[in-house]
Amino acid sequence: MAALEIAGLRKEFGGVIALAGVDISIESDKIVGIIGPNGSGKTTLFNVVAGVHKPTAGRVTWQGKDITGKSAYRIARAGLVRTFQQAMSYPGLSVRENVRIACEHGRRREHGSKQKWSSPEEILDFVGLRGLEDALAGSMPFGNLRRLGVAVALGANPILLLLDEPAAGLNDSETSELSQLILQFPKLGIGICLIDHDMYLMGTLCERLVVLNFGTKIAEGPPDLVLNDPKVAEVYLGGEI
Amino acid sequence: MEIFIQQLVNSLSVASVTILIGIGITLIFGLAGIVNFAHGEFLMVGGMITWFLVTSGLNFFAALLGAMILVGALGFIAERGLFRFTLERPMNGFIMSIGMSVILQHVVIRIFNEVQKTIPDPIGKVWVIGGVDIIAMRGVVVALTAVVVAITYFGISRSRYGMALRASIADQDTAALMGIPVRRYVTGVFVYGSVLAGLGGALMIALFPITPFTGSVVIIRGFAVSLIGGLGNVGGAVGGGLLLGLVDGLSAGYGFPEWTDAYSLVVMIAILIVRPQGLFGGTLGPRST
Amino acid sequence: MAASAENSSKEKIVAAVAIGLFLVIFPWLNPGYRYLSLAITTGITAIALYGLGLQFGQAGIMSVGHAAFIGVGAYTAAILSGNVGAGFWVALPFSILLSAFIAGLVGLPSLRVSGQHYIIITFCFCALLNIALTNGGAFTGGATGLDVGSIDRIFEINFDQLRNAYYLVILALFICVVVIYLIINSSYGRTLNAIRENEPLARAVGINANLHKIGVLMVSGALAGVAGILQAYYLHHISPALYGPFPSLYLALMVMLGGARLIYGPLVGAIIVNFLPEIMRLDPIDSRIAYGVGLLIVILLLPGGVSAGLFGAYRWLMSKRQQ
Repeated sequence: MAALEIAGLRKEFGGVIALAGVDISIESDKIVGIIGPNGSGKTTLFNVVAGVHKPTAGRVTWQGKDITGKSAYRIARAGLVRTFQQAMSYPGLSVRENVRIACEHGRRREHGSKQKWSSPEEILDFVGLRGLEDALAGSMPFGNLRRLGVAVALGANPILLLLDEPAAGLNDSETSELSQLILQFPKLGIGICLIDHDMYLMGTLCERLVVLNFGTKIAEGPPDLVLNDPKVAEVYLGGEI
Repeated sequence: MEIFIQQLVNSLSVASVTILIGIGITLIFGLAGIVNFAHGEFLMVGGMITWFLVTSGLNFFAALLGAMILVGALGFIAERGLFRFTLERPMNGFIMSIGMSVILQHVVIRIFNEVQKTIPDPIGKVWVIGGVDIIAMRGVVVALTAVVVAITYFGISRSRYGMALRASIADQDTAALMGIPVRRYVTGVFVYGSVLAGLGGALMIALFPITPFTGSVVIIRGFAVSLIGGLGNVGGAVGGGLLLGLVDGLSAGYGFPEWTDAYSLVVMIAILIVRPQGLFGGTLGPRST
Repeated sequence: MAASAENSSKEKIVAAVAIGLFLVIFPWLNPGYRYLSLAITTGITAIALYGLGLQFGQAGIMSVGHAAFIGVGAYTAAILSGNVGAGFWVALPFSILLSAFIAGLVGLPSLRVSGQHYIIITFCFCALLNIALTNGGAFTGGATGLDVGSIDRIFEINFDQLRNAYYLVILALFICVVVIYLIINSSYGRTLNAIRENEPLARAVGINANLHKIGVLMVSGALAGVAGILQAYYLHHISPALYGPFPSLYLALMVMLGGARLIYGPLVGAIIVNFLPEIMRLDPIDSRIAYGVGLLIVILLLPGGVSAGLFGAYRWLMSKRQQ
């Protein structure tokens, strides 16, 4: 059984259906991508799974336990951690404190686990922010903020990391640096589920893609198959990319 | 029946002042995103200016115009000189407006004094309509308020300016891209709300005595009315003002006058918690998240 | 880097000792009745301000109804003394607990409502409490309020003597500053900062933001309770007017004026507001105007408050001297 099981997940906002019954399974040793046009329900899916919103109906199971509608902080402590598209950091605190707070609150670290980091400094080193530990998060350029966002999430010691458009706003070289980083996660025992619009990035990173449109899953499978699926092409050619 | 109609006109005239202050707050908070705690003081200053001009020998209606213009100018200075710099940090704007309310209150005490001010009834007539005596000034207050409400309502919901204004509230960045001068609109709304506070002050002193501390009583009722009605919702503010007037009247009539102020407070807390968009629907204020 | 950190911690200790020493010898500098009683009022206000400074500066939750919780502490003490004859030391824990409890209760909406909306709620609650106290009949003493006796002597110390009352307040203030200092510099302080800076992110890394928000409001309320009971026993008479919306607004202004985030901020705010008008011989009306103008200037030019401004100026002077 996959680590994260989403079954019949439905979310309505005052009559507007954002998710119309979605079923997805996500393993914690792979990189899985979720794509779909704007408004297809990707971010809502993350929000409902991570406990920001309560679902209207459906079930979310994490490592065999029902976590539907649980508080965001409980879900994070269970090792299911998400990042944010905007608002990635605590702008008024130092880079070190940003990560340290996550280390102090996330999933408990066990001795002898596969996790290679034990301190904020080591995590910052890993994401390439060494030497910036004392900088104010809010004063950093955007590319570094994205890295910090990932570092904060790593601080919470995730088993599965939900990345919400991690490459949005990055230039090509920053994007390829970031994908190098993401590719290392499964080896470190961290599964990845990410949303992004960059088809090329998603195609190269992900082992499996899930396509959403109008709150329903319309395709799922290996990237080369999914991206050549006529239904998917129709969604993207018919709408905006 | 006669007493009832008299009571009705009296209640309506009191509600009118509340509605004027409520509309100002609903526009400034709901559309410009500024919580101006000194708005009640703007009204008080309007009343004091009217008192000063009338006691200096000016006609009441000229004094009323003067109060509207001067309080509008005060609003312009406050928006351009103070709130402009805190648009990104509304909390600071809020605290600053508390400081401003302290300043205005005590400047008025310094210039005049703490004693309550009254003016003689500007019209001094009693209309007899269908056998019912109605104090003319009260009728004028209600009529003037009705006109202002109508102008504001159509200005906000129908005119091009109003539509652009509401678009800019929905999404400031997009509005700016569409060429809508959002900043100027914020100033416009703020000054308009201030002018209404000036008018409210002038009308209030025509009915009741005013002290330098009147503003702090009025502001709570103003916030209650605008929150009940839904921020940015002119019609809602009118409904809220009438509702509050009714509750006050009933509570005074049935023997709990000392708890009168408590009702608006309880209603306000309940609405903020349960239905922050108000009973009649409105915005949450542009930056309320 | 290491040297300057060491330097600054040495500076901190020197500053703390100097301030502490001054506060201890203050009554012996012949301040006279007026200044000594002003110092007591300032100390009591500062204790409450530290609570407000904690919740606003560290957790980002502002309140313009804080005097209500001082009032809960004061009225608890007065009612316990009047109805069951409980003295200061017996009433103290009750004042603290009840103020903390009510503060937590009033804080519940902050879990749903944020920013300006919540501030308005705090203001409404304060006004509401005031109406309830005024209409509370014999139980609360109505608009005239309640009389309070003297603090029971301990080791024959008579706290009605101004100097002894001063030392009691300074002791309470000292404990309060130490508690706040420990909170700010602990992982709990960082947790509160995370909630202030980005609440959704704080939740997403496993912080139980709801619990900590109510928690910090209760700590803040507890300090207000201490201030309340001290005030009740110092003034020997309390009335609703002391705890209404206006005193609350002034508390909020004082905290902004002094600066909420730095450890000396609330103390600086309380001292400026209480002592400056006296030293400059302003009458109450002029001092209020000056106070409001000062606040506008601070918010526009010194967003960290006067304490942050003084600290910045000190840093600047030191760097000039080193060049």
